[in-house]
Amino acid sequence: MNRKQDAARASDPTYWRRCLAALTGASVGWAVGLAITIAVVLSPTFIPPWPVLFGRTLFIAIVCLLAYTAAGQWRGSPIPRWMAQVLAVALAGPLATLFVYVLSTGGNLQEMFGNPARVMGIGLIGGSALVLGLIITLGALYRERDAQANAQALQFALERETLQRQTADAKLAVLQSQIEPHFLFNTLANVQALVEGGSPRAAPVLASLIAYLRAAMPQLQDGAPTLGREEQLVRAYLDLMHMRMPDRLHYAIEVEPALRNLTLPPMTLLTLVENAVRHGIDPSEAGGHIEVGARREVGSVRLWVADSGRGIDETKPPGIGLANLRERLAATFGGRATLTLHAVEPHGVRAEIEVADENPGS
Amino acid sequence: MTPTALVADDEPLLRQRLIAHLAHAWPELTVVAEARNGREAVELFEAHEPQVVFLDVHMPGMTGIEAARCMAHRTRIVFVTAYEQYAVQAFEQGAIDYLVKPFDETRLADTVQRLRERLEPAAPTKAADALGAPLEMVLDRLAAEVRQRAAPQSWLQWIKASVGTTVRLIPVDQVIYLRSDEKYTLVVWEGGEALIRKTIRELADELDPQRYVQIHRSVIVNLARVSHVARGLNETADVHLSGRTETLPVSRSYLHLFRQM
Repeated sequence: MNRKQDAARASDPTYWRRCLAALTGASVGWAVGLAITIAVVLSPTFIPPWPVLFGRTLFIAIVCLLAYTAAGQWRGSPIPRWMAQVLAVALAGPLATLFVYVLSTGGNLQEMFGNPARVMGIGLIGGSALVLGLIITLGALYRERDAQANAQALQFALERETLQRQTADAKLAVLQSQIEPHFLFNTLANVQALVEGGSPRAAPVLASLIAYLRAAMPQLQDGAPTLGREEQLVRAYLDLMHMRMPDRLHYAIEVEPALRNLTLPPMTLLTLVENAVRHGIDPSEAGGHIEVGARREVGSVRLWVADSGRGIDETKPPGIGLANLRERLAATFGGRATLTLHAVEPHGVRAEIEVADENPGS
Repeated sequence: MTPTALVADDEPLLRQRLIAHLAHAWPELTVVAEARNGREAVELFEAHEPQVVFLDVHMPGMTGIEAARCMAHRTRIVFVTAYEQYAVQAFEQGAIDYLVKPFDETRLADTVQRLRERLEPAAPTKAADALGAPLEMVLDRLAAEVRQRAAPQSWLQWIKASVGTTVRLIPVDQVIYLRSDEKYTLVVWEGGEALIRKTIRELADELDPQRYVQIHRSVIVNLARVSHVARGLNETADVHLSGRTETLPVSRSYLHLFRQM
């Protein structure tokens, strides 16, 4: 069965095409150089004229090169590729030498081995082909490995760059999903109304908008977003939304001050608060109350965003915001953070994030 | 007779701003009512029958577009919207007047000018009729677009299950399988197990049948969680799940589901 497959592989036209493709000018040059060197070095001790000697060494060198190439292209060999190539050259050198001498004596083995000069010639050419061939083979293998290492390093660099670009894209996506034109223009229209009416509320509301925009933007550069900053962002956002729907939205934020230094992926609470406004309060004529909180518990920290809005639409698929948030939490906390949603009576949704303390023992 | 108007917007500051600017741009106009949502707008429209209605597109409950359908042909409607690109295109095609928030005074003055012309007693009624046909088409298109953006499909996406003292909301993606258990149904999902009151039959109707398949009188499985199906004797089979040890029975009448697999 195996032999059949091997035979099929050898007769596979792509195998020979691959071999031909692998024969580069440089490798043929090396073979010719090897043939010239052996011929030049050995010619003083040989009886036949130099061109005949060169013809023999050239033939042997080309056979070695073909053996090297064929062994290199042979997929599915039971031994490592480099070993197959070394063995191929070690066998091809002496065998080709014998073949050349058998040819030159017309197949008369007795005459060939009876003549001490010829036996010495076989030994010299065969031996030097073996030694030089192996040295060049090992050199070629070494260079190939070097080239492979270079190619791999390039591949890694490329992958790293792609990864970096993806991270940058993700950050950009966070920004774009964050400051929605619809939100911005509606908010600006409200601020404009306050300014035109000469309302004393204009200045504090504008301050909230600035705080929101500032909090939403530098998170791109800053490496350590915290619960404290998230609290400010959420407060600014809820303040703006309260200006827009003063009768329909009320809110309370209760974050334990000791927790403000907790590291948190950017937009963690804001994603949940935006969902509460967008899906809970905004679609409801009566509106509702939003409660944001963070509390230390035994062995964990619990964060929550609860609203008394319209409640979840059971046929509405979960948004991309929640899926992204789950990924960001997993990236920051590994398996320590869980995000769960709960229904609130009589209507509304409570989102909870529980972050288990890092176990110092592990 | 002085012209009358209704202003509907869920954001009070924007409502007041529009009324203040209308007082300046169109002093004769009387704003007879203010509405905070689509339902109120329709009620107040029926009570006052104003000649002009300014409708915010995005309002809680009934949207401005749905409210407009209840008033079509009985008044002149101006939509007010904030950066709703898709809507603006539709308005332009349908020759319906609209204001983009935050609007400026010159834009409002143009709108007032057009409304005044249409309110002239000498204005031919045919012009109004000519506007009638595209109005309904545009409203249909807008309503369809809003619906599509709000709910691309109507299959069940969340399962409500009592866990301890709270009611968990479980995205159906996380559900592995559902199995009936006497009066209740057992939900097994990534985060645990819970009993719900909905029956397997109800769930089979509500879940997307492309992804959640009933394989037994009492079992629905999330196809994404199936690792393989093992044939048994006597025309039965067992469904094996990725990352779980328990198997689920496939009864004879549902075996055809896995024939091609």
